[in-house]
Order: sequence, then structure tokens, then C-alpha cells
Amino acid sequence: MKRSYVPVALLLAVLFLNIIFTQYMVHQYFYEHYTNTIIAAVINVILFPIAFLIYKKGVNVND
Amino acid sequence: MMNDKNNKIPFNEDNYTHNINRNNERKLDRRGFMKTLVGAAGVFAISSLPWGAIAAKELTGLSDKKYPKHKITDVNSIAIGDAVDFAFPSEHDSAILIRLSESKYVAYQNACTHLRCPVFWEKAEGEMICPCHHGKFDVETGEPIAGPPRRPLPEIHVKVQNGAVYAVGVKRYEA
Ligand code: FES
Repeated sequence: MKRSYVPVALLLAVLFLNIIFTQYMVHQYFYEHYTNTIIAAVINVILFPIAFLIYKKGVNVND
Repeated sequence: MMNDKNNKIPFNEDNYTHNINRNNERKLDRRGFMKTLVGAAGVFAISSLPWGAIAAKELTGLSDKKYPKHKITDVNSIAIGDAVDFAFPSEHDSAILIRLSESKYVAYQNACTHLRCPVFWEKAEGEMICPCHHGKFDVETGEPIAGPPRRPLPEIHVKVQNGAVYAVGVKRYEA
């Protein structure tokens, strides 16, 4: 089976989102918008299992 | 017997010296790269936790501070739409009280959250204005609405009692 680079692209997208939400979180914390801070933190946490699932699906394709 | 020797180097059996294959050892393959990315996502997730926790703590109001109540002014001596300056909680923390309506008062620490110039109440505009770099604040919430300031003014809790206005506490005041 041909290896697929779709999971790699998806994981890079996840990393990109991580960076965006981390910066958003820190800024919203400084601006004292604590609800937004929490929302960004929760999204960052949720992105981890998503990344893990993408990896799990991705490695089944032959390397 | 000569057949005991296989004449190959390294030997296939009992090969204790040439058994490490270093070919491609440092090659970053697709799988390894994906593992790194998942690990990075994990690091981001874990490092987000303290921010969420501290933000939640701020939201619960645990860091609101109570101070001995301090009389600001008499209700009779401040007309609707007017403001009066005072100092709270210590004599060096200048603050401003604004009467918005018959019964609605708001008070803020009036050091601008940009570079601490004193913010004043512009009655005609209905905004709080910082003269230094034209920062503006929403009078109802203390949120910055224009100019360089990005953080809200610290709100002072007020209470009306027996015809006088008192300051009773500060929301998130770092002393
Ligand atoms: S100090 Fe208030 S806007 Fe700069």
C-alpha cells in the first residue's frame, strides 16, 4: 500500500491550531478575559486526543 | 573440519560483535515525524492547563479583595452624570466614582492600564478618557474601547448607605 501523507498534513494543521490558540489564550489572559482564556485552553487540550487519533489512523497505512 | 567455518564476516551465529545495524539510524521517517507532532500536541495541551486553572480561579472571584469600607461622598453632593475623585484602598490609589443614574454608581481605580496616567470622566462623550495617549474606557464595565490600553480598569465595588456612597472592595487589585 502506498504511504499517505494526509495524516502528516492533518497533524501539521493541528500543530498550527495549537500555536494559534496558545497565543490567543495568553493574550486573553493578559486582557483579563478569563472566559476566553478557558475556552482556548480547553480547545488546546481537546486537540491532543484528536492528534493521537490522526496518528493511530495514519500508521495503519503501511510505512 | 573446514565446514565449521562459514567464512563470512560477520558470522551469522554467535555474532556478539557486529550485531548493530546503524544504517538509516538517524533518518526521520514519516512515522517518527508524526510521533513528534503528537508529542508536541501533548505538550501544548498540558501547558494549557495552568492557564485554564488560573483563569477559572480569577472568574470565581477568589482574588477579589475586601477592604475596610471608605466613604466617598454624600449622595446629595454628586449629581447624575457627575464624577468625583477619591483614593481607595490606600491614599495613593486614586480612583473615580461616576453616578450614571438615580441609583447606579460605578467606580474604578483610575490609573490607566496603559501607562498609569489618570483617567477622567468626559461627561459630554459618556466615556472615560485617558489624556496621555487618548485611551478610552467603557464607563459601564471599565473595558478599554479605544487607544493603547488593552486591560480593563480595576473595578471598585460601591454601596449606597444612609445617603452616602461607600467603597467596599476592589475587583482584582494588585497591591
Ligand atoms: S497612559 Fe492612558 S493611554 Fe497611555
